[in-house]
Amino acid sequence: MELIREYVREAGQGGLAGWNRFWFTPADPATLGLIRVMAGAMLLYTHLVWTLGLADFFGAESWTSPHAASLALADSGTYAWSYFWLIQSPALLCAAHIAALVVFALLMLGLFSRVVSILAYLAAVSYVNRVPGALFGLDQINCMLAMYLMIGPSGAAYSLDRLRLPRAADGPRPPAAPSTSANLAVRLMQVHMCVIYFFAAMGKLRGDSWWSGDAMWLSVANLEYQSWDVTWLARWPLLSAIATQVTVYWELFFCVLVWPRLTRPLMLVLAVPVHLGIAVCMGMITFGLIMLVGCVSFVPPWLVRWCLERGGHKRAGEGLGARVAQVSTRRSRPSVAGGRRGS
Amino acid sequence: MFWYHNSMPASETLHEPERRPANFAWPRRVRLIVSAALVWHLVGLLVGPISSPPSILGDRLQAIYLPYLQAAYLNHGYKFFGPDPGPSHLVRYAIEMPDGDKIEGTFPDRKVHWPRLFYHRHFMLSEFLVGLAGPWEPEFDWDRQPLSPPQEAYVESYAHHLLKKYGGRRLTLYLVEHRLPSPQEVIDGMRLDDSRLYRSRKLGSFES
Repeated sequence: MELIREYVREAGQGGLAGWNRFWFTPADPATLGLIRVMAGAMLLYTHLVWTLGLADFFGAESWTSPHAASLALADSGTYAWSYFWLIQSPALLCAAHIAALVVFALLMLGLFSRVVSILAYLAAVSYVNRVPGALFGLDQINCMLAMYLMIGPSGAAYSLDRLRLPRAADGPRPPAAPSTSANLAVRLMQVHMCVIYFFAAMGKLRGDSWWSGDAMWLSVANLEYQSWDVTWLARWPLLSAIATQVTVYWELFFCVLVWPRLTRPLMLVLAVPVHLGIAVCMGMITFGLIMLVGCVSFVPPWLVRWCLERGGHKRAGEGLGARVAQVSTRRSRPSVAGGRRGS
Repeated sequence: MFWYHNSMPASETLHEPERRPANFAWPRRVRLIVSAALVWHLVGLLVGPISSPPSILGDRLQAIYLPYLQAAYLNHGYKFFGPDPGPSHLVRYAIEMPDGDKIEGTFPDRKVHWPRLFYHRHFMLSEFLVGLAGPWEPEFDWDRQPLSPPQEAYVESYAHHLLKKYGGRRLTLYLVEHRLPSPQEVIDGMRLDDSRLYRSRKLGSFES
């Protein structure tokens, strides 16, 4: 009995300490800043494309009437808000669209990041809730990333906001301070990506073709999706089956194997062919890329800086300063997103 | 191969990090409040996936989480390409103009809808329509399956949009299903756009 009590006590203490360390350890906002640039660019492009069919999709006589949308959403309630339901005038629609594009551009550039990250999320959700019939996975990931970018200081790195900071009299700008909310935002992205991959695999395991190994063939044999003809796979059933199984098992175990530092690189490297394969062969370039942006949340900040600021050290010394600050932070606060332990 | 370490200096990462007292920037009370919000949110992330297909637990949690998930656009199943990649669907339309001319078209259409993302938006319109189908009724063949109320509303909405856009007098919509060929059929020379792979059903006729 004493043994059980001791186990429960240690498990509780360890769990609590781990929870605090995982969520509340301040982290360098470099990873968050990089995600802001990439997700902002994708949001801008995604919504720029809506311009081609703005009246068709969002106008008063659009593909989706309010009655149709309400019936489609009936199962899930009436909380799917969108300011586009209030807009009937074509001029106002155009103005709202341009305003949203400006917001997404500012998010990408990192100007007034705190405010525009909130506006970007509100705009992105408004767009998707107005056209429930024209959406796919891209929109889910776009909105997910926009939501978490609101939480952290996404403009603290790789942004115009940072360039606007005053320089010291004879030196570089101060390095971006480690931030608890930056860690929180990146952690939420990481956990959300794990949830997505796990249930994507679970959904596939309900289908016979993912077990039999035919699913990859069925994907590439779909003419409406096809952007690169790989029907030569018909003569290579084993290759098709291996690609099918690797995809399922990679998705299924991603939520476990992406955390240990020995297996994380493997999982992230595998994400590249999986998602680029979807992008190149099935014409879903935006979806493939945005999933990779989500995977960037697992790239530690020091590596982001190492990749992006190697040239910058010699020029301004700013990146080096940030590195020094980061190392000192790591020494005091182990962290997955910014620290030293396998995360 | 040092890049997978979370900290930069290789010499440091070779050793087990020493245990240090926790030093958090946020006070305990704030962490407690944020933790409660995190638990709420993290459970919410699971509600969408475990509700698709419907489940007892998912239904119970949906009753609690619905406003949050719906408002935050988080109510997703994430079942990408599952359970099986299936046939694709297109919508064909034929419009009679007031002067007697006829306009025919299909969505999605690669020749019209460009760039690819714009094409995909139109592709999703036709796929979404099929996804709204009610339970399969075995007494009817595929081309005579009754449309569910949401399907009827969407068909009407698509028809209304097309009639307004082109200024047409009368419009007829068809659903086209494009079956996927087997590897053997392709080896035997069948093309992906072979006419034998398509079947079509009428969705309805509408007046302006």
